[in-house]
Amino acid sequence: MLAYIVRRLLWMVVLLLAISTITFVIFFVLPSDDPALRRAGSRASPERVEAVRRQLGLDKPVIALPWKDSQMRRYYDDLFLHGDLGRSYTNNAEVKDLITTRLPTTIQLAVGAMVVWLLIAFPVGILSALKRRSLADRAVMGVTLIAISAPVFWLGLVALYLFDETLGRFPLLPGVDSYVPFKDDPAQWFQSLLLPWFVLAASFAAIYARLLRSNLLEVMNEDYIRTARAKGLRERQVVMKHEVRSAVTPVVTILGIDLGVLLGGAILTESVFNIPGIGRLAYNAISRGDLPTIQGTVLFAAFFIIVLNLLVDIAYSFLDPRVRY
Amino acid sequence: MRSKKWFALVATALLALTVVLAACGGGDDDGGGGGGASSTGEGGKKGGKLTVLNVGDFEYADPGAAYYQFDYMVHYATQRPLYYYRPDQTTQPPTPDLAKGPWKISNGGKRITIELKRGVKFSPPVNREVKAADVKYALERAFTENVPNGYVSTYMGDITGAPEEPGKYQEIDGIKAVDDYTLQLDLDEPTAAVTAAAFVLPASAAVPKEYAEKFDKKSPSEYAENQIATGPYMLKNNSSGKVSGIGWIPERSITLVRNPNWDGKTDFRPAYADSIEIREGAEAVSGARKILRGKGMITGDLTVPGEVVKEASQRFKDQLELPPSGGFRYVSLNATKPPFDDINVRKATIAGLDRTALRQARGGPAIGDVATHFIPPEFPGFQEAGGKAGTGVDFLAKETGDPAVSAKYFKAAGMAGGKYEGPNKKITLVCDDEDPGKKVCLVAQEQLSKLGFEPDTRFVPHDQMLGKYCGVPKNEPNVCPNTGWFKDFYDPQTLLDATFNPAQVLPENNSNYSQIKDPKLEEAFTKAEQLTEVNARNRAFADIDKMVTALAPAAPYVWDNQANVRSKDVNGVINQFNSVWDLTFTSLK
Repeated sequence: MLAYIVRRLLWMVVLLLAISTITFVIFFVLPSDDPALRRAGSRASPERVEAVRRQLGLDKPVIALPWKDSQMRRYYDDLFLHGDLGRSYTNNAEVKDLITTRLPTTIQLAVGAMVVWLLIAFPVGILSALKRRSLADRAVMGVTLIAISAPVFWLGLVALYLFDETLGRFPLLPGVDSYVPFKDDPAQWFQSLLLPWFVLAASFAAIYARLLRSNLLEVMNEDYIRTARAKGLRERQVVMKHEVRSAVTPVVTILGIDLGVLLGGAILTESVFNIPGIGRLAYNAISRGDLPTIQGTVLFAAFFIIVLNLLVDIAYSFLDPRVRY
Repeated sequence: MRSKKWFALVATALLALTVVLAACGGGDDDGGGGGGASSTGEGGKKGGKLTVLNVGDFEYADPGAAYYQFDYMVHYATQRPLYYYRPDQTTQPPTPDLAKGPWKISNGGKRITIELKRGVKFSPPVNREVKAADVKYALERAFTENVPNGYVSTYMGDITGAPEEPGKYQEIDGIKAVDDYTLQLDLDEPTAAVTAAAFVLPASAAVPKEYAEKFDKKSPSEYAENQIATGPYMLKNNSSGKVSGIGWIPERSITLVRNPNWDGKTDFRPAYADSIEIREGAEAVSGARKILRGKGMITGDLTVPGEVVKEASQRFKDQLELPPSGGFRYVSLNATKPPFDDINVRKATIAGLDRTALRQARGGPAIGDVATHFIPPEFPGFQEAGGKAGTGVDFLAKETGDPAVSAKYFKAAGMAGGKYEGPNKKITLVCDDEDPGKKVCLVAQEQLSKLGFEPDTRFVPHDQMLGKYCGVPKNEPNVCPNTGWFKDFYDPQTLLDATFNPAQVLPENNSNYSQIKDPKLEEAFTKAEQLTEVNARNRAFADIDKMVTALAPAAPYVWDNQANVRSKDVNGVINQFNSVWDLTFTSLK
């Protein structure tokens, strides 16, 4: 197991190097605005613009030989030797600080949504499997199909239209721009995240309910399940201890991937509700052409996905004794 | 009986007194406690927390580099430049702030002498009194490569010894601290008037060298994250002076607290609020509505969308302010290549444009008057240039356009049909890809088509529009419909020089989009820039405005107003210079 983990960690470094290279190439090599002009301001003399360009390292060739004189070398040095993600072109703030101050908000959104979708998906998936082909089962599966199909930004806008306490038809909950940090007002914090949690959780709940249902239906016909019943176990024990236990393993796998993706920033949900997380930061950076910030958020997202994948694989070995590394 | 009469008399007197007192007390249905502050900010109530809703963050948190409106909003609350403007002030000379009195110009316009106030102190952890050497350092650091100030070379570049290119820190011979409280600047050219006028900008706010230089050695300078205040407020910091992560959480919030070393007796700012919290990342429509319906809030850099301006003007009239922004917007014509290298074609085109339609695309009458020349209302030189009636040119006489005048000038250009019939019908336009710029462009495009042109329009992000196309002469299209320019301070040179002076065409970051070459115009600029007396400068630049207008480089279509909104329980005071709420004069009711 230890060897496996070490191998995966080394592989993680290789993957991050590859992703950072691709990100660099996409954003620095392809044509875009001149950030030096923007930073220098409309009044700046050509000499000042050139000075800003030098300061940002944009006066050097992007990729060149000798390697040490290129922007790419500076980028790798800063990133891997100093852990420096650079400074935002928009306000000169350190990208590392921009991301770390927003990370707690994104974690709150992602984990909260995860709790909501699991709380919905499990009972729905289990009951659907147990009552398969019933009217309830068909209705629930129909609803899940709608939830999967609806784009999250559309769902968010509909939720605001219906339930926003200032603009909604049925004013119930705080909507856009209502997020406050937990330490400022826990009650307001909780209320401000309810709508975003449910909006973000909707399609995941649907996917997980369907996945769990389908896994359970497979497992239900296994011999060991019949044996369990034959042994006289109560139905509840058969379902929860044997059926669900087996059916949940693939769910854990995708849970890790989904959570990793969300921790990199639920861009659409954060944008619709204007929640100051990493997703919103990424969206703003993209719209402003703030390359260092875009890079930083991409690398962070990649990091979370890779780490969570690793954790899921480790967890897998505990859930399923057949899996050994 | 006598006691009954006496009783009746007293009762009547009391009743009368009650009536009089009730009438004087008035119906304060504002929900607030004290009386309202005036538009000059006097009479506000001290205390409370003011909340500012902002979309973005600092462009530059370093006062030495700051150039944009929101940056100024904060810096003028935390810094004391040599001069500043009172909220209702729209003329020169500015009000002494760190300076004790008006600047003195001598030596034929080549020397400026300024005496500083005593008793102005830096905030913690520096704590000491501000000296002339601190202002010297502040100005010198703005010329370095680590402090990306965009305007010092324009307004202070004539100071003797000022570096021509930003580089490492060096002392500048032309800036002298004659003694602890006297600053003297010597210039190579007689342009002292505009240099001194530029001391309203935050680069002239004192910076303690012994504290700041270690930060200024980093590239870029880290002084922004550790800045010191001299104004009534400061960014909340820790004991070592660090503000980053404390008073400034980038793209999240800025927290201003009272500067404990600020002495109100040395300042004209009342600084009513105890603290100011700037919340960043707001969304424009919901943010503006929240302010109108909420408590204790004002707009920061939030551009109030047109639909909310309309709603506010109907339902929340007293919570909306529309000060002039001190600028103009225009459709610029590139005079370096056909067809607009012909002045008659330019005049014909401008005459044919419906400028009210262009203004309507931007938001309609609420956003400002249709412009008839370039210097805007309530700005020095406006009346001298003709005021609202214009400079007298016929091609700008009618706001809705004048087909007859347009036809006249097309005929003068050799096109008998009264529309453009020449070989250069295909013209290129580069426009903003977002509203309202996009809407304005579509209107301009349609109108140009009606005049006989065949517009080929490209929509790009705003930064690209200026940075790659309109601001780079070799890439500039025929028409740039989304151009605008705003004052740096109340001197008309700041409006006209970068935009129309033939000597100011730059290879990149160019703002003279029409690029008209006229020796008489250039000479007029050179002479006007050397005038030192305020009224003479206003007249000279008004004449330049007339000359520029007559050369038809562009169609000015609006003198902008800027919408600001406040909550009902806020006594908002607009600073006319910055066209936004003045944090040091605004109070809670």
